[in-house]
This record gives sequence, C-alpha cells and structure tokens, in this order.
Amino acid sequence: MKRRSFLASAGAAAGLTLMPKMAFAAANRIDWYTSSDQNIIDFWTNVVKPKFEAANAGVTINLVDGGDSAGVQAIAERAMAALSSKADPQSDMAEGFDTRLPKGGIDAGLWVDFSKAGLSNYSKINPLAFDVPTSLPYRGSQVLLAYDTTKLPADKAPRTWADLIAWIKANPGQFIYNRPDKGGSGGNFVRRAIWEVNGRDPSKFTVDNFGQFGAAALPPAWDLLKDLAPSLMDQGAYTSGNTQSIQLLSQSAVTMIPAWSDQALQAIKTGVLPETTGLVQLTDLALAGGFTKIGVFSNGLNKDLALKLCDFVLSEEIQSAVITELGGFPGVSWDYVSKELHDKYKDVIPASIPVFPGGDWEKNINDGWYRNVAPNVDRSK
Amino acid sequence: MSLTPASDIVGSKIRSRGLIGLLLVAVPVLLIAWMVIYPIISAVIETFWRPNDGGTASSFSLETYRFFFTDAYSLANLQLTLWTTGLCAVILIIICLPIALYLRFATGRLAAYVQGLAIFPLFVPSIILSYAFIRVLGPNGMVDILLNAAHLPKIRSPYLTPWGPLIGLVWDHIPLTVLILIAGLGAVSDASIEAAKDVGAGPLTRLWYIILPRISNSILVAVSFSVLGIFSAFTLPYVLGPAAPEMMGPFMQRTFRDLYDPPNAITQAVISFGFCIIFGLFYVRSVVRNQRGRA
Repeated sequence: MKRRSFLASAGAAAGLTLMPKMAFAAANRIDWYTSSDQNIIDFWTNVVKPKFEAANAGVTINLVDGGDSAGVQAIAERAMAALSSKADPQSDMAEGFDTRLPKGGIDAGLWVDFSKAGLSNYSKINPLAFDVPTSLPYRGSQVLLAYDTTKLPADKAPRTWADLIAWIKANPGQFIYNRPDKGGSGGNFVRRAIWEVNGRDPSKFTVDNFGQFGAAALPPAWDLLKDLAPSLMDQGAYTSGNTQSIQLLSQSAVTMIPAWSDQALQAIKTGVLPETTGLVQLTDLALAGGFTKIGVFSNGLNKDLALKLCDFVLSEEIQSAVITELGGFPGVSWDYVSKELHDKYKDVIPASIPVFPGGDWEKNINDGWYRNVAPNVDRSK
Repeated sequence: MSLTPASDIVGSKIRSRGLIGLLLVAVPVLLIAWMVIYPIISAVIETFWRPNDGGTASSFSLETYRFFFTDAYSLANLQLTLWTTGLCAVILIIICLPIALYLRFATGRLAAYVQGLAIFPLFVPSIILSYAFIRVLGPNGMVDILLNAAHLPKIRSPYLTPWGPLIGLVWDHIPLTVLILIAGLGAVSDASIEAAKDVGAGPLTRLWYIILPRISNSILVAVSFSVLGIFSAFTLPYVLGPAAPEMMGPFMQRTFRDLYDPPNAITQAVISFGFCIIFGLFYVRSVVRNQRGRA
C-alpha cells in the first residue's frame, strides 16, 4: 500500500506542475514584455533592472520575452480586452512594439499618451524620433558606412551619395553590401539607392503606395545598382547578412561596408572590428534607420511605476549605457548624453533618420533586386 | 534459414511476435504518415488545385509549374542545384573511396587518427563550418595569409561563388560517405583479396574485379544519401553561395518567407522532391535487394 500511496501522491504532484500557472499582476511589480532580441533583454536584465530596483526599494521589474511582435501583440490584445471589461491586464509595459496596434487601441485609450504624462525627461527626446505620442522612443539605430581608416583617411571618406558612388568606382573591389532581404544594412543601402533615383525624397514613399508608384520607382534604382556591381568585391558579390559584411571588413578584404550603427559600435567595442574603423553617415540624405519605442498600458496595475521607469530609461545614465553597452543611438538628443560620448560619436550623429516603409515595397524590392541586379553580372571575367 | 513451425504452439508464438513487431513500428510509421506523407500529398495537391482569381472556387491548374519552367531565373537556380549536387557526389566518391579503402585495410595508430579526422565533420554544425570557411578560404583568410608568408599570390577565393557551397558540402558529407563505404567494404573478405594477390593481381585489378563489384551497392547508397542531403542543403549555400543563381533550398525559403508566396515555394519543393525521389528509389531498391539476398 505504501508504494501505491507514494505513486498517488507523486502523480498528484506531477499533475500540479502541469497545471497552467495562474498569473496575477502584483503590486510594485512592473510586468514588462518585449519583442526584441536577446541583446536587448540582456541589456534590461543587466543594466536597467538592477539600477532601477536599487533606486526604488521594493519595486521589481518582471522581464518577459514576448518572442516577437505577434507575441507582444497578443499581450496588448489581452490588455485591450481587459480595458473594456475593466479587468486586470496583467501587463504594464511593451518594449519594441508599435502602439498603433492593436487596431483602435489608441482611440480606446489603451496606451498612455506620453505628451501628457508629465515625464521630467520627456523634453530631452530627440525630435527626429517622435512617432505617435503613445510611443516613447528610447533607443535607435541606423545604417551608416563603416570603413577602414588605415586605407581611407577619415577626411577623405565620402559624405554624399555621389561621392560614395565615385569612391566605389575609383576603388573597385573595395565595397560590398549584403543581399537586401538578408539584413538591414544592405537592405537600406538598396533603399538609399531607390531614394536617390526618385528625387531623394523619403516622403514620396508610403506603406500603401507601391501600387501607383512602384513600377516607375524601382527600375532606375536597379540600373544604378547594376552599374555599380562590377566595382564591388569580386565584380558583384553580395554577402548573405550584416555579420558577414562586418567579417569581410574585419579581414580587411574590403575597405567599406554599410553597417547597422549598433552592430558596428558593438563590433568595435568587442574587438571584432579594429579601433581604426571609421563610421560615417551620408549628409545629403542618410541611410535609413529607426527608433525603438516603449508603450505603457493605461489600465496596468502599476502604471505610475511604469511611467517612473520610462523616465528613468531616458535619464543620462541609461541613455549613455544605450550607447556604451548596447551600441545603439540614444533616444534623447545627443546634448543630453555625456560630452565625452558626444565627441566620440559626432560623425555618426544623424541630422535625420529617414525611414523606408514596409508593406508591398518590401517584397518587391527584395524580389526585384534578386531578379534584376544579382544575376546580371558576369563575374567570370 | 527455413524453419517451418513444428507445432501450433511455435506458430502462434511467431504470430504474436509479429504482432508485437507491428505494434512497435506502428508509432513511427503513423508519425511519418501524419507528419511527412500527409503534408507531401497535401502540398502536391495544392500546387495542382489552385483557387481562381476571385478565390471563390478551385480548379486544376498547372500555372505555378508553367511559371517555374518558363522562368529563366528559376531554371538557373535548378540548374545550379543539379550542377552542385552532381559534382559533389562525384567529388565525394573520389575523395572518400581511397579513405575508406585505407581504413579497411590499414591497421595501427595512424589509421585511427585518419578515421577520427574523417568522421570529425559530423560533429561540426554547418553554421560554424560556414563562418570557419570564410575565415580560412575567404578573402584575406588563413590560406591567403599562409600564401602571402610564402611570397605566393593570393587565391581567387571561392567564397560567394558556386564553388563555396560545393567545397563546404563536400567536407560536410565526408563522414557519412566514408562510414557507408567502410560498412560496404566489410563485405570484402581478406581471403578473396589474398587469393587475388596470390594469382598475381595488381592493386588496380583487385580494386576493379574484387572490391568494386562487392561494394557497388554501398556506393549507390552513399551517393543517394549525399545527393538527398545536398539537393536540399540550406545553410552552406545560403552563407557561402552567390546571391544569384541560388540553390533550391535558399530559393524556396526566400520565396516562402520574403516574398510571401507559398504556392510557388511549394511548387519549387515539389520539383525538388521529384528529383530527390529518383535517388530515394535507388536507395529503397538496394535495401530491398540486400534483404532478398539475405533471405
């Protein structure tokens, strides 16, 4: 009988662990969800959370990886449902999420309007970063050009598109970008070419105007890129990702690549790229990039604490850490980070951060590039 | 062996054993039917049975196949895949057969090291292999550095050309091919080799008349296995290959995920499957022949 009762109790215990965990929002615990990658979660775990919890005794941050945008959207939809039934949404903050979703959320008052929330650091935010007032930009990244200063002195680095093209053609084999669908650095280089042949005006491109505009907008860009191909590494080779481009630069196989600012800065910091790596942004029109935002649920149990955390994230301490630890751009204007950092990165401080829309543009740019630019190069010569 | 049941008791024992055997294989067979066979059939049907423009009804259509076989870009991808697969299979046999012969007949320490080295790629994930490849054979990689130290010109790096994935895939498939060939060489008895030696047969004659006929089946199996693996390879062609033409693996994935075009991606998959099934049948045939030979 003993054995049997043991089995029964063990079975019951096993059954208990299998039961869905009941989740309740707890007072003084900020439930935070993200769609971002592991490096961002590490940043919050190792930098933001300990610093904030040390400064606010008794408060904890519960960091939850939502997986991707769809995962966080499910949380936001739960909060939306809780809003209409006046229930507990069990969530306070969403990081790396577009508060335009779920549809109708802003109108229903699901998200806190930061312009009215009275954050003390709100006025420091970089004016280029604003989107909708329910989204709080706190970190950014942008594609820029990374180059080897031992081969190309910093004062000779191209600063306009025309200079860049002239440089690539004058130095065949010294430039490479990755396939546009395999990483944003090459993708936004291709998009910069599309802007270039369409009057350098990003506002002409919207998420839903591919139908009227696309057929005319893309072919000239393909011609431009095809013309460039023989001057690239190996007469038209394209790497299959951001990392591989950085690797070729680090092996000194090329002199210049387009790269994400945060990846390039982190690569320099960790020694993947040498200290002699230069970073430069085009001044006539920058390569595309964007800011990552935070949303705060207006019906969250710990809304006030979440807002306090938002203010904390915009403080000089965390914003400097965004640059030094994460390799990102600060969400606040560069005047509000330490002067030392400001001087170190003055070449990459963007005058504008243009954004290219997604929608139908995305797949047509990708497929168009593969069909028009990539194959039409005879690399055997 | 031809054991006829001596009595009813033995007969029922064998029968119940057969039943247990069937039950044991039932789970994997059902899983394969559910998770492999059924999706294949439903995918094949999906490529032929297309909804019309309004999406109101479906009818038989060869539209996606017509597109594939009239689209120069898709055909170039298929051609590259066949080129890579065929060349890989040939190179693999050329490299692996001598290794396998050596390991079959050699003894001692060195043979153990060679075997370890030949099996080593089995334990290297292909993504790590890809980046190591860039470091070694890529521009200004280790080979270039060594050549430079010896005052020799740099190599034309195979990275981002069709030769990149080819070299990587050959290296990656060496262990499996060597293992299959060694297993096949087990069927070659020392006695027959010695006998041939005694009547004065040279090494080539022994290879051609004694060894190769015994292991032709293993070679066929080894080729089928590597062809099946290489045809659908993804990571190595993705990281090391040129942007265009692509191999079918990356092409399918891109069509599906980046172009949001499942019908054409499935069509590409069905066409790849069509080529692979030929080698699958080779394999099945040789297994069946083997078992008949044993019975």
